[in-house]
Amino acid sequence: MTRHLLRLIWNRKRQNFLLTLEIFFSFLTVFGVVLFALHYANNARQPLGYQIERIWSLTVDRKESADDVAVKTRQRETYRQLLAALRELPRVEGVAAAFTGPYANSNWGGGMWLAGGRQIQHGVNRASDEFLELFHIPLVAGRWFSREDDAASWTPVVLNRRLAAAIFGAENPIGRIIDEERDPNDGPADPNDTPEVKRVIGVIDDFRQNGELSTAENYLFYRMRLDGPDPKAALPDRIFVRLEPGTPAAFEEALVKRAMAVATDWSFEVQPLETMRQDRLRQYAVPLLMVATIAAFLLLMVALGLTGVVWQGVTQRIREFGLRRAKGATMTNVRTQVLAEMVIMTSIALVAGVALVAQLPLLPLPAAMRVVPASVFLLSLGLSVAAIYLLTLACGWYPSRLATRVQPAEALHYE
Amino acid sequence: MLTHYLSLAVKVLLRRKFFTFISLFGISFTLLVLTVVTALFDHTFGPDTTEPYQGRSLYVERAVMYGPHSTMSSSGGFKLFDRYARDLPGVERLSLYENGHTVHSYLDGRKISSKLKRTDDQFWKILTFTFLEGGPYGAADVAEARPVAVINARTRERFFGTGSAVGQTLEADGQRFHVSGVVEDVSEARTVPFAEIWVPYTTAKTDAYKREVIGDWNAVALARDTAAMPGIHEEFNSRLARVELPDPTHYQAIVAPFETKFQAFAREVNVGDRKDPESQVWQLVGWLSLLCLLFVLIPTVNLVNINISRIMERASEIGVRKAFGAPARTLVGQFLLENVLLTLLGALGGFLLSMLTLRMLERSGVFAYARFTLNPRVFAYGVTLAVLFGLVSGVYPAWRMSRLNPVDALKGGASR
Repeated sequence: MTRHLLRLIWNRKRQNFLLTLEIFFSFLTVFGVVLFALHYANNARQPLGYQIERIWSLTVDRKESADDVAVKTRQRETYRQLLAALRELPRVEGVAAAFTGPYANSNWGGGMWLAGGRQIQHGVNRASDEFLELFHIPLVAGRWFSREDDAASWTPVVLNRRLAAAIFGAENPIGRIIDEERDPNDGPADPNDTPEVKRVIGVIDDFRQNGELSTAENYLFYRMRLDGPDPKAALPDRIFVRLEPGTPAAFEEALVKRAMAVATDWSFEVQPLETMRQDRLRQYAVPLLMVATIAAFLLLMVALGLTGVVWQGVTQRIREFGLRRAKGATMTNVRTQVLAEMVIMTSIALVAGVALVAQLPLLPLPAAMRVVPASVFLLSLGLSVAAIYLLTLACGWYPSRLATRVQPAEALHYE
Repeated sequence: MLTHYLSLAVKVLLRRKFFTFISLFGISFTLLVLTVVTALFDHTFGPDTTEPYQGRSLYVERAVMYGPHSTMSSSGGFKLFDRYARDLPGVERLSLYENGHTVHSYLDGRKISSKLKRTDDQFWKILTFTFLEGGPYGAADVAEARPVAVINARTRERFFGTGSAVGQTLEADGQRFHVSGVVEDVSEARTVPFAEIWVPYTTAKTDAYKREVIGDWNAVALARDTAAMPGIHEEFNSRLARVELPDPTHYQAIVAPFETKFQAFAREVNVGDRKDPESQVWQLVGWLSLLCLLFVLIPTVNLVNINISRIMERASEIGVRKAFGAPARTLVGQFLLENVLLTLLGALGGFLLSMLTLRMLERSGVFAYARFTLNPRVFAYGVTLAVLFGLVSGVYPAWRMSRLNPVDALKGGASR
């Protein structure tokens, strides 16, 4: 039966080739959109790693780059006064400083070469001792930065679970030193530089800085210290303030006025993290919505087009169907034939489409592009295949009914 | 003869309303998307009332410092332009302006956020704003760091209600400014002129910017004529080789070329090598065309399919014409004419829909103060696209038709 249908399709090969081509491109479009959407949905299910209720972000513009040690020392002193002043304000529950934070547009990426030649990319942040408590970050093992680290001769770091697993596998990472070697692409080592020795003091569940829809990534925290002995130590760019429940939005004015009174030359940008979160979600959702809308209209166009073409094909083959009916085929038989031809053509297009799409994971893409887990990829593939079958069957449904209405006598009348 | 073909085409279109509807829907939608994208591009890169001299303006919006292991990409610093971009041969005017920053004001318990841009006085001469009242600040205001500001109409409304604003003061980012003029709102998409408050750059809280090679500043140079533009680009590039870089152990060179808006955009979306001072515009155009082509693929195949169906339906008509000696060329011409007519009809629908979509985009506030217009330029692009689309989707079906065997066609059987 299938062989017979294949021959029928082959007989109308030119027309059917174009139909198959159209289904093929439609599949690619559907797959792209479904993959995009499922990837986000999958990300949204993963733990975020922090809570932002009642926290405001203060972005600090220091107006002057701190390349110069004297400038930096002056700015560090201003920071110390600023944090103390903010802590003393009424309604303020807690204050923390960091290089960057949740939903912020600034990202800091780093990479390490492990002994043995393995390279690992990760997000980096530098945060003060109060940061963990302020954001209610769940600690999985070990501890967060504290005064205990003041005298340490090594650099204390806190990793997220994912990065800890990437470096140490199943072993307990707490207290371990990350065994690094020099980046082979770097030039000869500067003899005055002592290489930094990182020791893991804690593991947190996660810290997905870019929010719910972002891809889970490796993450590493350094300690941010404003009273350390190193005059070149980095300064924070953001201050986070947690407020008492019920603090009105108008409190912002008092907050900024106080900050400006301490740091007269600096500018401050205050935003509740909840506002930043919504902006971020929009940044992710708007492109997806735009692409999805365009894809939906394309599919509607394809659906109408397929219906029209199959309809036209059926009217053209009225004599063929009449003959079959005269030879004793039932209405259902004829109808099945039209739909089965549709299914076969769809299958040919899908085999080609899936074969093409399946090359994607095999390509030597950079790590940044390999963010979609295999399960999401396969699920998208399955869903898109199902969607295309549904679409083509729906398009064949009405024309196939037309075909069954043909009266044998009337159809054969043409000959 | 042409009128005869046209009336025939209209009859055919009316005969099969379903097919006509599908074709028109597909064409309208495709051209809607293409027109909206073209309008957005034109709004961002085309000439505009505030930037009438864009044709002979060159901009530096990005400065990249690089060394063997490090790359730092930012805007240029004030010192970079102040020391190296003055007196470039062929330049009529040069303006330096800072990137816009969001500043906050607190007025009777309300928070007002605005974009503030610090500029020099030349800024007002290279760009032509429409002043609703008052005027811009001048060289003396800048030299003496007078706290004056030009604001846009929306800012006037937010601070002062319906009344006049000139002579009044407003507070922004902890500083107080006297309003010297009010201009019409400028679209956010026009990155060079756009701001809501403009103030002299000398009113900055510190003068640290004066020592920065890399920082927060942009420059626009107005060339005497278009012929002088390549010379300006070359001369500034060669001067950049002498710049003293802030961190010579990590960075050895700086790339910050004077280029057109579109070249700057090509650099910004990272086509080609950032270290190359020559922007890879053709690469960007190539990528955009490819994207456009991929998008048009499905509608085209769809239209080709429908066209073939339509022809097969008219097999007996074609058979008769062939039998009476009509050459293939005439038939192909007739069919293409029909198809182009259909596409133009679809284009008309597409234009009406684009206008609606653009109004909706304006209202959505994706770009603040944007006024999208389907000006003659965009219209011309659209019609060209429509005719091209009509020809491409009509050629293959027409060729198929011309190959029909008259005997088969007369019988109405052309299934092969």
